[in-house]
Amino acid sequence: MKRTGSILAAMLAGTLLATPALAQKTVLTVGMQSSDAGVLDPHLNSGTPGKALLNWMFNGLVRIKPGELSPEFMEPDLAESWTSSPDGKEWTFKLRQGAQCHHGYGEFTSEDAVYSLSRAASKESSAFSSDYTAFDKVEAPDKYTVKITLKQAIPSLLGIVMNYHGGNMVCKKAAEELGKDGFAKKPVGTGPFMFSEYVPQQYAKLVANPNYFRGKPKLTEILYRFIPSDSSRDLAFQAGELDMMLGRQEQAWVDRMNALPGVKVVAMGPAEMSVLHLNTSQPPLDNLKVRQAIAHAIDRNAIWQFRGKNISRPSVSVVPSGYLGTDEKAPLLPFDLAKSKALLAEAGFPNGVTIKTINTTLPSMLSFTEATQALLKRAGITLEIQPVEHATFHQQIRQDLSQVVHFQAARFPVADVYLTQFFHSRSIVKTPTAVTNFSHCKVADAEIDAARSETDKAKQIELWKTAQQKIIAQVCAIPVNEMMQLWAYKDSLDLGYELRASLNLGPPVLETTRFTK
Amino acid sequence: MGAFLVKRLGFAVVTLWAVLTLVFVVVRIVPGDPAQVILGDQADANAIAAMRTRLGLDAPLIEQYWTFLTGAIRGDWGVSLVTGRPVIQEILVVLPWTLELTIVSMLIGIAIGVPLGVWAAINRNRMPDYVTRIASLLGLSFPPFVSAIILLILFAIMLRWFPVISAGSGSLSAWFQAMALPALNLGLIMAAYITRVARSAMLEVMQEDYVRSARAKGVPWRVVVWRHALRNALIPIITIVGLYLGILIGNSVLTEIVFNRPGLGKLIVGALNQRDYTMLQGMMVIYTLIVVLVNIATDLTYALADPRVKLS
Repeated sequence: MKRTGSILAAMLAGTLLATPALAQKTVLTVGMQSSDAGVLDPHLNSGTPGKALLNWMFNGLVRIKPGELSPEFMEPDLAESWTSSPDGKEWTFKLRQGAQCHHGYGEFTSEDAVYSLSRAASKESSAFSSDYTAFDKVEAPDKYTVKITLKQAIPSLLGIVMNYHGGNMVCKKAAEELGKDGFAKKPVGTGPFMFSEYVPQQYAKLVANPNYFRGKPKLTEILYRFIPSDSSRDLAFQAGELDMMLGRQEQAWVDRMNALPGVKVVAMGPAEMSVLHLNTSQPPLDNLKVRQAIAHAIDRNAIWQFRGKNISRPSVSVVPSGYLGTDEKAPLLPFDLAKSKALLAEAGFPNGVTIKTINTTLPSMLSFTEATQALLKRAGITLEIQPVEHATFHQQIRQDLSQVVHFQAARFPVADVYLTQFFHSRSIVKTPTAVTNFSHCKVADAEIDAARSETDKAKQIELWKTAQQKIIAQVCAIPVNEMMQLWAYKDSLDLGYELRASLNLGPPVLETTRFTK
Repeated sequence: MGAFLVKRLGFAVVTLWAVLTLVFVVVRIVPGDPAQVILGDQADANAIAAMRTRLGLDAPLIEQYWTFLTGAIRGDWGVSLVTGRPVIQEILVVLPWTLELTIVSMLIGIAIGVPLGVWAAINRNRMPDYVTRIASLLGLSFPPFVSAIILLILFAIMLRWFPVISAGSGSLSAWFQAMALPALNLGLIMAAYITRVARSAMLEVMQEDYVRSARAKGVPWRVVVWRHALRNALIPIITIVGLYLGILIGNSVLTEIVFNRPGLGKLIVGALNQRDYTMLQGMMVIYTLIVVLVNIATDLTYALADPRVKLS
């Protein structure tokens, strides 16, 4: 008995004494809201947990300046410089010399870039192959030159060769040697951090790349912990076990974190826009007046207040604000309850109308739809919500089963992407080329197509503006609110740039990122 | 004994096959497309179709079933549709975490529950009995995720005795740190069940003639309670422990998530959300196997506890 007591006492003492030594911190521990990062191949992974992690290991030919979102901040990455022909069909990139692939796979050359872009363009090896349909050929005239020839000009060639989705550059020798499955277990890039270890359900460990072409990182290691429970992540952060974490999209969370000493909370872009897509192919939503009545019943300011003033903002158009080509002063139908009721009566529904929506059970999305339901009720519009689990939601809305689809998304910040995926007839759900056009909208096809190959920037912007106005006039969808991505980190962490946005949804960790104490 | 084991293992094989077939069908009936989950929001219909082909999901159902069944017999459970890693490897990495949590929780449950149940029974309708009954009722009605958060706030945030992320390993101290709170959380719930069963079993046994005889012939009270009465009350206790062990593995889901421990529970929730068919199938084999084995072990323990029980 005495012996057992001594062992227990020793264990407890060991526990209490096992506190970390106070030394200059060089290990960054990040908490992510998931139990896994998915397949660790940048050309296949489109989820937030995977993108944020892969972003620290890979480079593109170009990149958007860390902390920014707009393509106007495009700067060199693996390519030192680039030029394009006047018609926008030929692009030549000059690679920097001496950039090394991780784990001794040699220098990154034009051969790797050609291989990587071909890999991203193949539907066998990439989830983003459709981004590269305009590619005619990719060549390597010499060791440090990459030449891309397009079938037709596209709005942002740089957007698909940057460190995002298919534009992440993989090293040819590693990808071929490891095979598709092997590469996903040991991804090899050129970024500031290298893959080291993956422990299912616990963490992924990255270590500093001593040969990084921008210089050896100041941090030695990143421990990327998978913590799906919001409460546990908050508590772990509060206990000092995490240095940085993804937050939950709630104003209350921001207020709680701001109250903690030594914590910095950032609401960063890209904002995910909540849009109500109205299925114009089904009654009563095939009636323009009913759609207009719904639009007039939505009070964007009330929703803004409801979702949180600091973490969201009202939508400005059918394309999120800040994208290249967004009409920031688009003629959205204003909140007007009387007009909404009048339109409903004119449409032949003086006693109101009932519409149905299939909605995900994800709390933040469901609460938005419930708030919308309450707003619509005041205009005599009954929104019946059928909540289903998230994967089911994604399948059923693509089967055209929902009259109203609440979809929350951010895209590459060029209007073409949002307009094409949500409002071009090619993207209508249940068609072979379907993406996410839930409204069956096809009023702006001509403008969207013309803008894509327009090389005159002013004309291109004008075409996108016209497309947005047409979609708004037909009320294919009602843009309501934009939600920011929320992160919290210790104020002793100096990211090395000002964090305003990150296309890969996780704060970039650079070679200059360090702890100040 | 040998014949009993062979018979039970034969039943186990049939049970496994039935569960496998059921799981194969059910995961495919549930709406949700793994290809869509893997490729994300922006994938077009063509890319999704290509992914379905790559995953073998466009093959006829009977062909998929045959591939799955023959693979399972060979011990090849395929690779996870989402991560691309072998299912068996993913399960084996986390299985020890769940098993050790379950076993330690069970031991805590028994260590607290049995003495408490006995204590309550021999003090029937007195203060110790009332306190024990209220405490066990609280234990039964407390949702494990709420008690988990309370334990974390108390011991990890306020007292800082234990970490929030209970996934340490490598040393005895790290193991103890990682195990203490999750095992206590599950163990207390299990103790509540065992206390109630032990109490009622003891109350029944204490009325038996042999207990009265033992007391009459002057056997010390302690020996009457712990040797004569408790041994005869063990059968219902073993039954509840065996039954609850299966439930415990299920209950561990929330505990694993809140304490951020790896484990089967977390794996199955992830696989379900992502419609990872192969992973779900592999997980169900493991769950079924554990339940079947625990049942056999429970039956064997009956014979150990009570020599009158014949295994045939």
